[in-house]
Amino acid sequence: MDLNFSKEDLEFRDEVREFLDKEYPKHIKEKMNNGDELSREEVVEWHKAVAKKGWMGHSWPVEHGGTGWDATKVYIYLRELALAGCPTFVPFGLQMVAPVIWTFGSEEQKKKFLPRILNFDDWWCQGYSEPGSGSDLASLKCKAVREGDEYVLNGQKTWTTLGQHADWIFVLVRTDDSGKKQEGITFILVDMKTPGIEVKPIITLDGDHEVNEVWFDNVRVPAENVVGEEGQGWTYAKFLLFHERSSIAGAPNMRRVLNSLKIRAKNTYHTDKPLSEDKNFQSKVAQFELDLDALEMTELRGLAAMREGKSPGAESSLLKIKGTELQQRLSTIAVEMAGHEGMPYGGPYGFSDVEVAATKSDQLSAPKYLNFRKVTIYGGTNEIQKNIIAKAVLGI
Amino acid sequence: MNLSFTDEQNLLRDSVSKFCGSDYDFETRMKSVNSDSGHNPEHWKLFAELGWLAIPFSEDLGGLDGGDVDLSLMFEEFGKSIVVEPYLANVVLSGGVLKRSDLENKTDLIEHLITGEKQISLANYEPQKGFNLDNVDCEISEDGSVNGLKTTVLNAPNADFFLVFGKHQTGHAFALISKDAKGSKVTTYKTYDGFVSGDLHLENCKADAVFSKADAVDILHQAILEGIICVSSEAIGAMETCYKLTIEYTQQREQFGQSLSKFQALQHRMVDMFMETEFSKSFLLKVLATDDENERTKLIYGLKNQIAKAGKYVGEEAVQLHGGMGVTEEMSVGHYLKRLLVITNLFGSSDYFLDKYIES
Repeated sequence: MDLNFSKEDLEFRDEVREFLDKEYPKHIKEKMNNGDELSREEVVEWHKAVAKKGWMGHSWPVEHGGTGWDATKVYIYLRELALAGCPTFVPFGLQMVAPVIWTFGSEEQKKKFLPRILNFDDWWCQGYSEPGSGSDLASLKCKAVREGDEYVLNGQKTWTTLGQHADWIFVLVRTDDSGKKQEGITFILVDMKTPGIEVKPIITLDGDHEVNEVWFDNVRVPAENVVGEEGQGWTYAKFLLFHERSSIAGAPNMRRVLNSLKIRAKNTYHTDKPLSEDKNFQSKVAQFELDLDALEMTELRGLAAMREGKSPGAESSLLKIKGTELQQRLSTIAVEMAGHEGMPYGGPYGFSDVEVAATKSDQLSAPKYLNFRKVTIYGGTNEIQKNIIAKAVLGI
Repeated sequence: MNLSFTDEQNLLRDSVSKFCGSDYDFETRMKSVNSDSGHNPEHWKLFAELGWLAIPFSEDLGGLDGGDVDLSLMFEEFGKSIVVEPYLANVVLSGGVLKRSDLENKTDLIEHLITGEKQISLANYEPQKGFNLDNVDCEISEDGSVNGLKTTVLNAPNADFFLVFGKHQTGHAFALISKDAKGSKVTTYKTYDGFVSGDLHLENCKADAVFSKADAVDILHQAILEGIICVSSEAIGAMETCYKLTIEYTQQREQFGQSLSKFQALQHRMVDMFMETEFSKSFLLKVLATDDENERTKLIYGLKNQIAKAGKYVGEEAVQLHGGMGVTEEMSVGHYLKRLLVITNLFGSSDYFLDKYIES
């Protein structure tokens, strides 16, 4: 056992740094550093830059265009990206639907979709939750009826992240309601340009438009777009959820945010001495760092297991719970640090036309905190994750 | 020992509660939030007519001689509906400074406050100067000209006057500045709880009056202490609504074939929210029932620390137990969290007040 990087690993790290230095678009970097929102085009531009380098498939098998890196390399790669403040990859294609397609999809589907996902030619989004089916996902009602070579979809999905930008959506639909609720669910791929689809924004507490309702009104989808077998969608859905959960802990990203907070604390005054010298603040940061270390090692253990060919299982729920709790704790530290100077607020009320005395990072602290209320809810609430751990890991 | 309220106090609570119950549903609130002034002028007029704006002023200032208990009862009711009308900024903070000041025409100004004709904002905090009240750069010179930058001036867009706290040859003082005074500029914005606020830029701005040169810091401190009692009471009202909304929502929402409220793990969470609210109420009562001034000041610091933690906790839990719906603008519960978070950060952080408690 060894935590040190080998000479080869260090060379690889330098290679990643060099890539970021040269190919990470400067205007995107500037926006990210300022905490500005990226346009759709800029998000695509970033993904394309990575794709050009051939590094999009860091978690993919080699046969489908994956990089074939071992766990250490994947870790180094993601860590360097996070430390450089790069935008996170839009996960719905790369990390979510792609593993389902290469595991359960037809040869045609693999050929048609995987290269385009790897090259970020298509932006994917997720059609899972429904207004009445959140934690109890299997109770979903969005309906698909087979008519000849097509399925006709009717119903509503919700919480579809970045659905307003998407080219494709993977949808869980009910094709049979005669049996148990987990049976009769089908996993289907739908072109967002198909007539009858409507995307309606949901505005969240931070004032942002990130999530959407997606409505289906007699949407006709070719039967060849069903992944695997009709009625087996629940199996694929669960498989995908494990992948989703293992990808949202984000320790390196928190490391970067924490570092910048620590730097800002040196010039932040709540009393006559800087916050960085305040005992309460120091102990809060230290406790956070200890928890972050433990999270990071847990992520590494998961990564190592995946490289040995084990599918991320119920253990990914540990990462989801702890990772999201830490994200929220970090956003709380930032809000407390801003104090009353974090009160001026863009959000739905908007002040972009005025110059406010508070710093930009203080002003961003509350929207960030409010935005992060979602993380313990999405991808299966943390309460549901605990049920999964109790049942599947502890066997109780 | 007597922990009950007087008949007058119960009447006041009932009348505020009735107003919030009948005239202040969530949609009405959001209409006010989304308006330019950030509140409903009709409501403000009504507050004046009902005598609410006169409560914490002595009779010789034209007030009703009410005290902290009256304010607290009122703010608890305000908190239940997260009322956005600028009572804190005008009556508690600016009124709190004025009534203790030696300003010559303070009776006139207070009368305007009580009738609701004029609004006044307190401008004391500055960028990057932290929470210690006397830590300011703003300068009020002998001839009454004022230079400085004030931030998070509550209700600034509606203010006819500002009470600017600054350094003065004698130590500290307040300057009374009219809203259109030459050399003053207000940058207005909304805060994330939907209230209005602003920055006040002052450059060789001539004050209408400079006052309370002998004891400005003390007066400011007293007004802020009263403010802490008010926002803490408001937070308790908001916390109560949070757990009640959560119970209601989890009873309606069905998952896995039963209402969410039937899950024991969630029941315990709601019990914890309820308990935090009740213990916060108890602590507030201790403050209100303490006469000794030093002890009371120390306890108010403690109150702010307790409320900051409890309010944030209950607000966050309420959002979490509402699931996805909790994080939408459309549901009221998130707006309670936003207000609770502002209260958490108003006047200083929970850590700051814990230290103040330890030091005093």
